[in-house]
Amino acid sequence: MRAPPRLPAGLLLLLAPLFAGAAAQAQVRAVDLYAPRPFGYTIGDTIELSAEIALDAPFRLDPASLPRPRALSYWLDLRDVRLDDRGVADGVQRYTLHLAYQTFYAPLEPKRLDLPALPLTAADGGRRIELSVPSWSFLMSPLREIVASAGGTTMALRPDMAPPRIATAGTLRHLGVALIGALLALLLLAWHLGWGPLGRRRTRPFARAARAVTAELAPSTSSPPAYGRALVALHRAFDATAGAGVFAEDLPGFFAAHPAFAPVEGEVRRLFAASRRLFFGEDPAAAARELAPEDVLALARRLRAVERGSA
Amino acid sequence: MRLVREPDSILSDWRARALRVESEIGKVVLGQERVIRLLTIATFARGHVLLEGDVGVGKTTLLRALARAIGGAFERIEGTIDLMPADLIYHAHLGEDGKPRIDPGPLLKQGEDLSVFFFNEINRARPQVHSLLLRLMAERSLSAFNREYRFPHVQVFADRNRVEREETFELPAAARDRFLMELQVAMPTDDTARRSLVFDPRFHNVDTLLGEVQTGILEPEALETVARVIQIGVTTSPALEAYVMALWQAVREPHAHGIDVDNVDMARLVQGGASPRGMSYLMRAARVRAWIENRDMVVPEDVRAVFPEVMAHRIFIDPVYEMRRDRLVGDLIAGVFARVPAP
Repeated sequence: MRAPPRLPAGLLLLLAPLFAGAAAQAQVRAVDLYAPRPFGYTIGDTIELSAEIALDAPFRLDPASLPRPRALSYWLDLRDVRLDDRGVADGVQRYTLHLAYQTFYAPLEPKRLDLPALPLTAADGGRRIELSVPSWSFLMSPLREIVASAGGTTMALRPDMAPPRIATAGTLRHLGVALIGALLALLLLAWHLGWGPLGRRRTRPFARAARAVTAELAPSTSSPPAYGRALVALHRAFDATAGAGVFAEDLPGFFAAHPAFAPVEGEVRRLFAASRRLFFGEDPAAAARELAPEDVLALARRLRAVERGSA
Repeated sequence: MRLVREPDSILSDWRARALRVESEIGKVVLGQERVIRLLTIATFARGHVLLEGDVGVGKTTLLRALARAIGGAFERIEGTIDLMPADLIYHAHLGEDGKPRIDPGPLLKQGEDLSVFFFNEINRARPQVHSLLLRLMAERSLSAFNREYRFPHVQVFADRNRVEREETFELPAAARDRFLMELQVAMPTDDTARRSLVFDPRFHNVDTLLGEVQTGILEPEALETVARVIQIGVTTSPALEAYVMALWQAVREPHAHGIDVDNVDMARLVQGGASPRGMSYLMRAARVRAWIENRDMVVPEDVRAVFPEVMAHRIFIDPVYEMRRDRLVGDLIAGVFARVPAP
């Protein structure tokens, strides 16, 4: 079907209001109304019209003269009014006026109805002219027959629609990513703090030493040889940290190379003094006076904390 | 302390003297604190010392200053290619009356009081001279004029430079083994020390410079006794003995201890050496070092401080690597100390 969406309502309509003089005539070049099909409307339908208005510059439409959306009559609402200013070209000021109506007329049989004309005002500062968007008529049709005949066959109720499923795949994916991320972060933390078996790795000699010292110096098994073994475990940790044997005379160099251990310098010096007494002076009593077994245990834990960076 | 009161005070008194010797020598020899400390250790360990180094770094000045500080009779001789053992013992010449005369040579001139014998450029002397020296060092005695002369207090210092190789005779291993230490004398690394050595006129005349060194701080006759008291007074614990044994083992079998020196087949690097005598010298020197550090026990640091000087020349390495000996043995010793745990 070759029905253009908009039919010009009538042909080109040049409006000449009765009261407008010849001067005013010249200032309104054209008001063209474009409308949809003029038939086949039922109650509640909306009808959108547009009017193209051409004025001689410098005349401009007075915005105050535009109708406001409102109920025009008991059956007709003006729902929307929109004015597009398309600017001045060749001395002609052009506008496009969009109008949206909704009809609530309930005809018993097809009936022709009219959309009323809309008066507008244009001005150029001093002079004012009147112009009008023409009225337009269309056919409305009833929705149902006048007298309801017998009801149709009764229908069986169809089962309720299943509730729509909410898409959860994305949420689940996010949850998985977040869980994996959390697990990785936990592993990283465990690795950094040397929890459990992660404390056994080579780069954490003091974690291993602290474990050994705890085992050796447990109150139930503590004995002079165990004290010695605990000191040896700590010495091995120092050696592993420095990458070479660390003796008492090397401590300044050790602290210079590993400044993180500086806070425990005093205790470490006492440790080396004690182990000197124990191993090379053969004086366990003096060694224990210098650094008691409990102190060794505390020092081992502090060193482990320093190593993991949480001291 | 396990010593009775008297040796205790003897030791502390002599320790003060040892430190004074170091400071006296330090006045005239700049930037060589470590070498001076090792020379002092050697003196109190009654060991002979061989100095090595470039020409003009002050080896001779150092030894002359040390001889002055020790006190007692001092003799020196220059090694030359035509030096014969007899030249050390006697000196033959015609007297003013025209008769041939035989006078005692440098070794015998001071009699049995000789305390420091200084052999300059020892590698220029012939092996015959080396063997005489070997006996002097090992037994502190020598035979001359049909009798045996004893030098109970003698300490031999020798030096050699490594620059020239022509007309020199490498010391036999047996002779090198008799030296307690082989000291490398390097240039002072300290910039101010270098500057004053070059610009300060004080250092231009060695004789007047040496005049500043106080003489006879130590009594050579007493040194032997003091050395013995030190060796008794400073103890070694079983833990230290185990450590030294482990070091010894590691030096002889570095590959078994995972010691690695760059681009060297560790299984064949060490051919032998590190003799029991060397190890006993090592402990003697370590005890003296512990005493100078005011301790009555030897700790691993003492062993480490004297180890390169005492042991490096006793380690015999594969001839293939001989040309790079200094660096390889240095790396080997560093590796041993890095690998062997103490205590």
